Amino acid sequence: MTTLQVDQLTKRFAGVERPVVHDISFEVAEGEILALVGPSGCGKTTTLRLIAGLERPDSGVIRLGGRVVASDTIQVPPERRDVGMVFQDHALFPHLSVFDNVAFGLRGLSRSARRARVAELLELVGLRGLAARYPHALSGGERQRVALARALAPQPVVVLMDEPFSSLDADMRLEVREQVRGILKTLHTTAVFVTHDQDEALFMGDRLAVFQHGCLEQIGTPEDVFHASGTRFVAEFMGDSDFLAGETAADGIRTALGTLTRVGALPVGTAVEVALRGDDVDFVPAENGNAVVRERFFRGAFNVYRLALDSGQVVHALKSHTEALPAGTRVRAYISAQHPLAVFPDGQAARLGRCVVCNTEFHHAGPFPMSKM
Amino acid sequence: MQAAQFSRVSRRVRDFSPRLATVAGLIALLASVPLLYVMLRAATADPADWARLLQGRIWYLLGNTLLLVVSVTGGTLLVGVSMAWLTERTDLPGRKMLRWLLALPLAIPAYIGAVIHLVLLRPRGGLLPLWLAERLGHPVTLPSPLGWAGATFILTIFMFPYVYLLSGAAFRTMGASMEEAARTLGRTPWQTLWHVTLPVLRPGLTAGALLVALDVLAEYGTVALLRYETFSTAIFIQLSGRYDRSAAAILSGVLIMLAIIVLWGELHIQGQARFTQTESNWRPAATVRLGRWRVPALLLVLGVVIASLLIPATMLVAWSIQALLNADTAAALFRSGTVGFGNFAWNSLWTALLAAGVTIALSLPVSQLATRHPGAFTRVLSRLCQVGYAVPGVVVALSLLLLVNRWLPFLYSTPFIVVIAYVVRYMPQAVRASEAALKQISPTLEEAAHTLGRGSLLAFVQVTLPLVTPGLLAGAALVFLSALKELPATLLLRPAGFDTLAVRVWVWANDGLYLQAAPAALALVLASALPMSLLLRRERIFK
Repeated sequence: MTTLQVDQLTKRFAGVERPVVHDISFEVAEGEILALVGPSGCGKTTTLRLIAGLERPDSGVIRLGGRVVASDTIQVPPERRDVGMVFQDHALFPHLSVFDNVAFGLRGLSRSARRARVAELLELVGLRGLAARYPHALSGGERQRVALARALAPQPVVVLMDEPFSSLDADMRLEVREQVRGILKTLHTTAVFVTHDQDEALFMGDRLAVFQHGCLEQIGTPEDVFHASGTRFVAEFMGDSDFLAGETAADGIRTALGTLTRVGALPVGTAVEVALRGDDVDFVPAENGNAVVRERFFRGAFNVYRLALDSGQVVHALKSHTEALPAGTRVRAYISAQHPLAVFPDGQAARLGRCVVCNTEFHHAGPFPMSKM
Repeated sequence: MQAAQFSRVSRRVRDFSPRLATVAGLIALLASVPLLYVMLRAATADPADWARLLQGRIWYLLGNTLLLVVSVTGGTLLVGVSMAWLTERTDLPGRKMLRWLLALPLAIPAYIGAVIHLVLLRPRGGLLPLWLAERLGHPVTLPSPLGWAGATFILTIFMFPYVYLLSGAAFRTMGASMEEAARTLGRTPWQTLWHVTLPVLRPGLTAGALLVALDVLAEYGTVALLRYETFSTAIFIQLSGRYDRSAAAILSGVLIMLAIIVLWGELHIQGQARFTQTESNWRPAATVRLGRWRVPALLLVLGVVIASLLIPATMLVAWSIQALLNADTAAALFRSGTVGFGNFAWNSLWTALLAAGVTIALSLPVSQLATRHPGAFTRVLSRLCQVGYAVPGVVVALSLLLLVNRWLPFLYSTPFIVVIAYVVRYMPQAVRASEAALKQISPTLEEAAHTLGRGSLLAFVQVTLPLVTPGLLAGAALVFLSALKELPATLLLRPAGFDTLAVRVWVWANDGLYLQAAPAALALVLASALPMSLLLRRERIFK
């Protein structure tokens, strides 16, 4: 069942030429977690605020639980939308205790029912003993969970979270987001959350919606978005892709790393780019190779190598931390990916400033391994 | 249809609330009407009056007023900034205590300070010359506190705390990193002070100096006492002695124009005054070692403290004791005619409290609108509410006299007209305090309340109001303090027999009964000191 439906939503701000949210449509099913992800200024937070009713759309329709809450003629104010929101700064009321913060949204309940509901939620978020504390006496992670409990307490149709983990220290972020995902899943809560962190989006979202310049670039499961990036931007944003130039030929796509057999119908002779991530590329030391190690970056569990291909292009390759090759080593690089790679018509998808790219088709190359040069 | 069903709801979106805007607009209008009306009266005054005044009087007053404004502003900057630097940035002994002593003169109205210094120093019959003559056996001539030099001295030592507090806070907020950067780029500490620190503080200091300038333009008691003629005293004489309202309106018009120019500059700078911000990595700046300058510096600071605080406080206490011990003055104090000391105190208290409450309440809609919906329209409203800064007490009195006589005669000769004058005059302080308090509150708190089912009004009452209450109380304390000390408007507007402490101090002191005036003055200072200490505790430099 669809809980949230956003249809052709557009929002402009005075004095800004481009719409901050441009013609966006998506649906969120009951119990699903949708992550809105993109660089800052891409419109993801505005989309969230439009859903909450904190902003008014210029056009488009928002339905919450089957009810129209925003359209050309309707604008239901946030207090009547039945949404829960977790703010980036948590927005806990500093003059109220943890108990009163969580109870704030529980109205029309008896005293004992309120007490029971608050206790239940504090238990759920693991803060049972802190009901009498005030927000300033809580740690960042505890504040985060109080904010979540407060948003969940009135059993909203959907919980909206605006960069909920960004104010936490890095070491705590991993722990808290696991807890939060666990809580949302336990309660089977429908949630939309905003982040600029691709790792977080991949971890938290049942599905991801990737934003860029106010446009929805791609929406899909984490695997889909990561492996079958719909646009050059998505490929670049989700996991730092290199783009390897190639050209279609009768037998596949010719690149500096060999020929890829391709699926899809592009005319022979079309210039294309193949998106490659570090784990898609491998190499072996070879005097008569096709590349040189330029630099090695130690990343703990693995090494990242920057390789300069003889063709002049640069790609990155991941290797285990036990294999350390010095800069200047001559190597033979090859594509080691065990999955299809995204291919983009050269030049077109690079024009990410325009919304044409929202609909760029993608082409898969495969199967593997490909013929060596 | 569904759309029709929700049309009522759709109007409730809080993009911009027309209801709040209307209320705020009315308040802004109320706050600016007295000023506009005086301007109108000045513009439509008899051309013959204009011609007469333009033939000399206006230019003389303009010269006098501007001279005093410049000298006092310069003096307060010099004293205020140097005191702040010495107590904040150097190893001056006892600086923690001195910080308080330098701020406390704020509780002493300048005209009371003027009375004290005048009694002590006046050329003929001053206590100090008399005492010295007795000791030395021959007459001694001391610098006279009368005239321009005396007015500059008195106003400087009682107004410098404004600049001192502002620059002290700025010295404190400005962390070490900027100055350290200058040092690593090859500047000596002295060069750093002149090329980095002071320029960085300049917008804030200029704003403070312009506020002092506005205060000097509005000052009546001190200049009247020290026989220095400015616009304020001239208008007062036209109103109280000659009943020439036309001439008063013309002079007021010119005075307001002057004040508006200063206020415009102040408002203009205010926006840019965010010269320093406390960042998370803030570290206090390194302390400058005074070395052999320690003793001279300490003497300098002590000199300021003695002149502005210790002498007035000591004299007030000593004279009060004398007055209470003497049966005649004690009797006069508590039973002059039908009313006595208790009545004066009560009149002061209730008018100032009422004014503080009303002013803060009126400031809320305007500042809520200005902070939550910033824009050209709301900025105009907020500025209109601040024109009171540019309307000296005598001008407020004039415009209220004219307005009330014409439209609201039933208010005439009631104490409420005095309260209205306080509200008009001190609305800017309240608006600024409320805006500052509201700006501290993250808008997400109100948004969180909305998503938890509260409309605008409930969100304001349940979330915003409890959080801004300390800031609002501080604003109310400021208005209370100012209203308590207010003199010219109270003198001109009060109904016959309605005396406040300030009025009584003034009347007695003008009659030369300074012993009798001392207890009332002391009560005024003590009553001011209480809200003052509350306000000072909020200042960064006392934390």
